Amino acid sequence: MRISSAHAFESSLANLQRRQSQLSEAQEQLTSGKRVRKPSDDPAAAAAAERALAAEARATAHLRALNESRNAMQMTESAIGDAGEMMQRAREMMVSAGNGSYGDSQRQSLAEALRGIRDDMLSLANRGDGAGRYLFGGQGSDVPPLRDAPGGVVYDGAAGQLNAAAGEVTPLSVDGAAVFLKAPDPANPGATVSVFDAMDTAINELMTPGRTGAAVALTVSNAISQFGAVQGNLSGWRARAGEALNRADGIESRLGQNQIDAKRDRSAAEDLDLVAAISDFQSKQTGYDAALKSYSMVQRMSLFDYLNP
Amino acid sequence: MGSSPLMSLGVRAMAANYAAMQTTGHNIANANTPGYSRQQAILATSQGQFTGAGFFGRGVDVVSVSRSHNEFLTRESANSQSLAAMDATRLSQLGRLENIFKTGESGLGYAATELFNAMVDLSSRPSDLATRQVVLARASDMAARFSEAGVTLDQTQAAVTSDLKSTVAEVNQLTKSIAVANQRIAALRGSGQPANDVLDERDRLISQLSERIQVTRIEADDGTVGLFISGGQRLVLGGSATDLMVVPSDTDSSRSALAMREGVTTRRIDDAGLGGGTMAGLLRFQNSDLVQARNLVGQMAAAVGGAVNAQQLRGLSLQQPIGSTPSQPMFSLGPQQALAQSGNVRDPNTNLPIGSVTLTITNPAALVASDYGLRESASSPGSWDLRRLSDGLVRPVNSGDVVDGMQIVITNAQAGDRFLLQPVARAANGMRALLSSPLDIAAASPLMATPAGTNTGTVATGDLVVTATPLPFPGSSEQLQFYRLTPPVNGMDYEYVSSITGAATPWRTGLPVVGANGYTLQLSGVPADGDVINIDPTPATSLASNNGNARALLALRDGLIVGGRTMTDSWSQSLADMGVRVQSAESSASISAAVATQTEQVRSGQDGVNLDEEAARLIQYQQSYQAAAKVLQVAQSLFDTLLQATGS
Repeated sequence: MRISSAHAFESSLANLQRRQSQLSEAQEQLTSGKRVRKPSDDPAAAAAAERALAAEARATAHLRALNESRNAMQMTESAIGDAGEMMQRAREMMVSAGNGSYGDSQRQSLAEALRGIRDDMLSLANRGDGAGRYLFGGQGSDVPPLRDAPGGVVYDGAAGQLNAAAGEVTPLSVDGAAVFLKAPDPANPGATVSVFDAMDTAINELMTPGRTGAAVALTVSNAISQFGAVQGNLSGWRARAGEALNRADGIESRLGQNQIDAKRDRSAAEDLDLVAAISDFQSKQTGYDAALKSYSMVQRMSLFDYLNP
Repeated sequence: MGSSPLMSLGVRAMAANYAAMQTTGHNIANANTPGYSRQQAILATSQGQFTGAGFFGRGVDVVSVSRSHNEFLTRESANSQSLAAMDATRLSQLGRLENIFKTGESGLGYAATELFNAMVDLSSRPSDLATRQVVLARASDMAARFSEAGVTLDQTQAAVTSDLKSTVAEVNQLTKSIAVANQRIAALRGSGQPANDVLDERDRLISQLSERIQVTRIEADDGTVGLFISGGQRLVLGGSATDLMVVPSDTDSSRSALAMREGVTTRRIDDAGLGGGTMAGLLRFQNSDLVQARNLVGQMAAAVGGAVNAQQLRGLSLQQPIGSTPSQPMFSLGPQQALAQSGNVRDPNTNLPIGSVTLTITNPAALVASDYGLRESASSPGSWDLRRLSDGLVRPVNSGDVVDGMQIVITNAQAGDRFLLQPVARAANGMRALLSSPLDIAAASPLMATPAGTNTGTVATGDLVVTATPLPFPGSSEQLQFYRLTPPVNGMDYEYVSSITGAATPWRTGLPVVGANGYTLQLSGVPADGDVINIDPTPATSLASNNGNARALLALRDGLIVGGRTMTDSWSQSLADMGVRVQSAESSASISAAVATQTEQVRSGQDGVNLDEEAARLIQYQQSYQAAAKVLQVAQSLFDTLLQATGS
């Protein structure tokens, strides 16, 4: 078959250029470390990488939300712990108030101390979490959720809890009414005890002068029983906060695993297999080298070289 | 018999071989000239002289110079080049388009993911202005990326139109040159010899023309060729050429189409019949790939933007007066449009189409990435056929029907009217983030559910998602009272009674509760008989800390909001769709380029110059020339001998 000299030059030149561009493509893959840089490199892998990227971003965001919940629950747990200690002190005061040798003035000074605890308890119940929320704000409250009102402390928040968006139930707050105002009364099934009402009653009665020993003893036993109910409720809520923290650990490890899985999926979809890529690069390099050599050898040959002038 | 016949024979042989060498030299000189066909001096034996002793040869004559030319291979080569040029053009355009469908962190999908992930942080800190600011930034980033994509699509369209215009100018120049070559060839035909170099020039021009637009060539008796495109429209006939021009498309005036100038009128050229050439590649890219890309990006913008806007409107912002100010949408979107086709009946006074179609998006989640053709039904006049152009699905519709998330209202339609409906094509172009203040974000839910204090069961309230804008805003109170069903009915062991409607709805634990106010509520625990859940407007004092609507906005991330799929799924699918398009364009381009190379190799193998061959011919003719010269020398020496013999 005849070969057109001009076309032979053209087509071998085109082949050389194609090989060079393949080589540069392989080099670009090697330097970027990515096998898939645009969807057409591998459409299915590009789609998989996109999904994995979304999953990774999602796990990262959820971990942030989980941290918020964990912080809030840690603060809540320690606040309820503090409240429990206050109740213990209040209870001890009530026990000593039952001392038969105490007179009105001693009982009144105990009542003063109890009032201090009661005020501390109210400010504890309105503690913030540093992120603009109240620990005991329930479903959200922009003002301190517990408030002194005629007839006792009332709850301004909404019953329930706020949840962070970490894909699972991750509380940001607890229901202050349930913690402080509605402790179930073991002595009186169906009834509830408000820590503030119990303290207010005890303070009032201790402040009242000239009461009989029997009346004081009744005050003390009522208060101790009610404080006990409150303590029981507090330790129940403390356990719930602790449980939320435990769950947070579990959720964190799941989210962390999701994050790792997503990273691995993304990498598997779009990253370069270096060993294969280097071997591929070398074979392309060899091919290009051979093409250059053969081009220079074949195209140099011409019959004119062998004809005498 | 003297020596003069020998002398003249020698002279003619020298002349003939000289002519052959001249042709060889011409071949060598034009070895690299594009379109040049190898030429050959045709030699023929001169008729012998009759004598009593028989015929004596008188040597050789040069009859003609012919060019090596194969009509079939030339045609094949031109056609295969047409296809290769079309595929290469489409591929290079698609390569540009692919930049819009970026993967990874710089892509559109990631921008949307980031917006939703910012809602996670907003749920954690609904009252924090910095967190709200981040949401605004993510929203404007997403809107900017979508509108940039829209601008790039517009620029790509503009580039296609300008490429078409410059190519048309080249084509018009080429067809004029071919017409001139036709005239020269016809004129030179009288000489009786082929005008090789003019023929080559014409073939070269036709080959160049074929790269731009595929043509059918028909040879006429006078040596001219006629060139015709697609449906047999005449591009060149004899010495006259018809001009092409670029005009706005009939269906969508933002696209371009080709037309032919016929006197003072123009005639449209059907895109589908163009066959090959760069212009066919450009038009195919414009009418298929670009439209699809526009619709994929637009669908995503309209669905995500629409879903976010709808949920935003259902929530409460922190703007004053707090708790009753309706929220504003987060995004603006480009308009849906219904284009009247150029053939529709027009008002003679205003020259505007009489019939019109109005599109309204009713459900962004149901939008499909497609344009639609709307025309009167052929089988039942008066009703309409709606054709979804992405997959060809035809459905009968009437004015007011809702199809694929859009309502179609047809007014004053005239017989024969046709419309092109584009529900999403321009959505991305007009995407802007509208909110300017962090207070504008509606993170709070207008409604809040709490179990009644008198409940004796363990039921607790979970997520409450408002699913419709509450009317009257911001919603009204509702009590849901739960009753045991014993025995259970159809697996439902409870029913709840709404205080608003008084209706009882069967229910079992695990199912969401659907309220009359337009919300869904998840419950955990088990209600006791007679337990009540109160749904009340969120009090103003807990509005800033309420994250109900932020969580509902976040839930869109996993909702089926884009064409029945999640946003991430849908966008990944779009990426793959575009990737496959580019990939298949790559493979057809490489196949058609290989075919074009192959046919050109065969053609040039026959018609092209091989320098080794010419070198050999040169030697061949040189030797013949030298031998002929020897004949002349012998003839001369014979004459000398004769002179000596007869001389002094």
